[in-house]
Amino acid sequence: MAVMVRVKNDAPFAAQPDDDMVVCRCEEVTKGEIRKALHDGVCTFGEVKRFLRCGMGLCQGQTCQRLVLGIISRELGLPVSGLGHITGRMPVRPVIMEELGKSTEESKEA
Amino acid sequence: MLISTETIGKKGADAIVIGGGVMGCAAAYRLAKEGLSVLLLEKTEICADASGRNAGGVRQSARDVRELPLAMYGVQNIWPALGEELGVDVEYVREGNLRLGRTEAHLEKLKALAESSKKVGLDVRMVTGDEAREICPYMSDDVLGASWCPTDGYANPLHTTIGFYRKALAYGAVAVTGVTVLGLGKAKGRIRYVYTDNGVYEAGRVLVAAGYASRAIVNTVGIDVPVEREDEEVFVTEQLPPMFDQVLGTAEADFYGHQTKHGSFLLGGVSGLQHFTSNHDDHPTEAYTAPSLVRGIIRFFPSFANVKIIRCWSGQFDTCVDGVPVISNVEEAPGLTLAFAFTGHGFGISPAVSIAVKELMLDGASTSIDISGLRYDRFKAKQ
Amino acid sequence: MKRYEMIVIGAGPAGLSAAIEAAQSGLEVVVFDENEWPGGQLFKQIHKFFGSREHQARTRGVKIGQNLLEAARGIGVKVVLGATVLGIYKNKEIAVRLEGEVRNCKADAIVIATGASENMMTFDGWTLPGVMGAGAAQTLMNLHGVRPGKKILMVGSGNVGLVVSFQLKQAGCDVVAVVDAAARIGGYGVHAAKLARTGVPFYTSHTVVKAVGAEKVEGAVIAEVGADFTPIPGTEMPLDIDTVCIAVGLSPMSQLADNAGAELVYDPAKGGYVAALTDEGETSVKGLFCAGDVAGIEEASSAMIQGKIAAAAAARDLGYITAADFETKAFGYKESLAKIRAGMFAPGNKGRTDIVQTDEGYPLSESLLARGFLSDAEAAAFPAAGIGGGGGGPRPVIECTQNIPCDPCQDVCPKGCILVGDNITALPQIAGEKACSGCALCVGACSGQAIFLVNETYEDGYGTVGLPYEFVPLPQKGDKGRALGRDGGELCGAEVVEVRAGAAMDKTPMVVMKVPVSEIARARFFRPESEGGI
Repeated sequence: MAVMVRVKNDAPFAAQPDDDMVVCRCEEVTKGEIRKALHDGVCTFGEVKRFLRCGMGLCQGQTCQRLVLGIISRELGLPVSGLGHITGRMPVRPVIMEELGKSTEESKEA
Repeated sequence: MLISTETIGKKGADAIVIGGGVMGCAAAYRLAKEGLSVLLLEKTEICADASGRNAGGVRQSARDVRELPLAMYGVQNIWPALGEELGVDVEYVREGNLRLGRTEAHLEKLKALAESSKKVGLDVRMVTGDEAREICPYMSDDVLGASWCPTDGYANPLHTTIGFYRKALAYGAVAVTGVTVLGLGKAKGRIRYVYTDNGVYEAGRVLVAAGYASRAIVNTVGIDVPVEREDEEVFVTEQLPPMFDQVLGTAEADFYGHQTKHGSFLLGGVSGLQHFTSNHDDHPTEAYTAPSLVRGIIRFFPSFANVKIIRCWSGQFDTCVDGVPVISNVEEAPGLTLAFAFTGHGFGISPAVSIAVKELMLDGASTSIDISGLRYDRFKAKQ
Repeated sequence: MKRYEMIVIGAGPAGLSAAIEAAQSGLEVVVFDENEWPGGQLFKQIHKFFGSREHQARTRGVKIGQNLLEAARGIGVKVVLGATVLGIYKNKEIAVRLEGEVRNCKADAIVIATGASENMMTFDGWTLPGVMGAGAAQTLMNLHGVRPGKKILMVGSGNVGLVVSFQLKQAGCDVVAVVDAAARIGGYGVHAAKLARTGVPFYTSHTVVKAVGAEKVEGAVIAEVGADFTPIPGTEMPLDIDTVCIAVGLSPMSQLADNAGAELVYDPAKGGYVAALTDEGETSVKGLFCAGDVAGIEEASSAMIQGKIAAAAAARDLGYITAADFETKAFGYKESLAKIRAGMFAPGNKGRTDIVQTDEGYPLSESLLARGFLSDAEAAAFPAAGIGGGGGGPRPVIECTQNIPCDPCQDVCPKGCILVGDNITALPQIAGEKACSGCALCVGACSGQAIFLVNETYEDGYGTVGLPYEFVPLPQKGDKGRALGRDGGELCGAEVVEVRAGAAMDKTPMVVMKVPVSEIARARFFRPESEGGI
């Protein structure tokens, strides 16, 4: 991740007409919430995610990651490649506990 | 906002904080609020490692008496109004902690833990299985009894950490992320230099709060703390309707967790093999850990069988040989303060730790919370 | 724990090709796919593929899928459906959800061939029911037999947007408009042209600004965009539609590679975050490979070759083939890959807007790029698309004016009168007009539906135009209607005088319509009276 020097933003937050647009559908996070969080100091995809939950829902960012990265990149003037991304984590599809609980070394041949 | 890397000039400050987790961010906030110029150095991003991976317990019960004063001070004096102080919803809930037992042996173990906490003034008591089910009606009949600490709770560690960070910036702290600290150096007997892959930073006071990575950093000025890595895993479920507000744990540490404000359950624990995994560096999850936790959970909460898990991750403890952290000034290197080795239970005490750290760094003479058992030089061979 | 020699994740073109290649070399292979049907996206690709014979050109995707599946099962590959791989752990252990439980197994080599997911874009109303991915619309139509809506706005004119728009028309939907924020249509000109001549309008330098409706989509507003791709106030135009299909690209599904510990890189040309790969498709984790769209967005033909290369490399590493055998195989595969990755739409040319002429030096049709159809004057300027002086009898007119990797026309012509040459991106040329027997095989074989048989000596004052017609109901001899131009506009009356729908046409029938001789250079589609073509 690129070196970032972060300081307080003294400029007031400037609202935009489409700030109420939902960007993360799973967690219902709007563009304005993301822009405000960036204005107030978060700078990477991971930080936006932890602060606002975008990308934490059922689709795990499959839909919104690209959109959120675009917003961060535009707001901070940084290339997308330095902003991080959602880590691919098990389970890549939701799984119910009972089924996962049956996973053992001795399980049947798949 | 971001400024160019050149703008910070000679890279100096009154105080440098190493580590952008909850400990570092909270300390940066307290120091900046006192009027010090503060530089926070972080290797990756804010709230990236243990602070972004833990389950958010704010617990006093079952703590070592050496760190219990920090836990109790936080619950009594800081947590209830922390959200207001930081201007973010830290989602603090104080509705108690049930530590569950399924056998007589479990109950004996819980009773012993409860007794030691009671001695230092914590309200924790044993309840029967039926009393426990009255508090939390979703448990199976297998639960024989539990220890009950009504003032334990939980909070959102992501909001808390980023809340401290934002507040630090608001008081003028500068945070530099993407910088790896390579070591420390002294000038005229006092700590002075912080060597990084982005040049040398300078300050008269340096706090090392970088989890396990702290050990290698302090080694560079001849200090060592017996701390090792241990991988723990947490998973999050789909959102469910509100069920209960208690934090849960078990006598055998089968799992722990709670329901969060947005409805998901955060549930975590260890496999039993966590000290001996082959790769501590990349935070992989192990094939056997989540299934093992799930089996434990279903034994206590049968209705969870059909709940979906949507993500599972791994986090790293900086486990200290005696199970409690080092929060201490280092007299051998004046100006150096340590806050690490939290052994997996740092988040709940972090707001109180930051007050102790601030006091250590400002005058160093005494702290308002008793941390006398947490010195860096307490480690001795057994005989 | 069960250990396979190779686990393939995803039974699409890349995965099945990898499995076949590995099994041919002697590996024990299992393929897991989370869907209930195999083939990945192939089973909804009802159009004919491009490329050369070795790439299974002019075969429909669905048929390629069936062929791959038969070949895989025939050689002993275990293809397990309804099997969702949840994670890849250390030591190439996977957890797969199957039959109500999670099972774990290991492999000496893993090929991740999980494909891609559709990108979304935000605009006012984008979360309304009725806004969906173009691929989702295709799944509804072609796998579930459900029309996604009646009146469609397609956003995006890449090949996905164009192909799905055509299939929506085939399913009986009205494609009201295709919009693209870029100034040029992104996909193949031949795909655009076959839509435009049915009357679908293209709006380049336009975007959707709003989906209208309280509970679901009941309309949309599009607007022209400026150089910065933001809408120009005052250019808004309402559209009467009930469905918005989004075709603005795909993102590789790299999660499993990431989960396995492979290093990811951000590469916009490949669609976003992808695993860093060697030219054999191996990730930074030894023995873990990626092939197909998950390795970078391309199309099925290259995915199949990538799968074979990865599997051959794994076979070498596991001692089933020698390094020399691998080199021989890889040389052929890479040559084949280079062939399909050539031309103006090659992956390396993605996003380029500065290509203004063909490799042969013909100026590209600006009308085709901006509006989806060749202007009459432009058509006449291309070697095989012009009518020329023309003698008697039928002969092909090939409206193929961009360098795309494709040569079935050359391949099928029994008389050898169509020439593409070895470089399959070259524009086709007519070798000898007199040789044409009027067999129409080229009309059926052209994956771009860009070949027409014209004959200006059918009757006194009348000629005929034979055109590919993949719609139902199929017009019958004697049907009357209107001839449409390349732009979909009505030209004149027309009568069907012949329909060729035999097996040789492979479900691309040729409808031959009689039009005045003066119109045979322009008439390119037939609208029956029953559909208003009066």
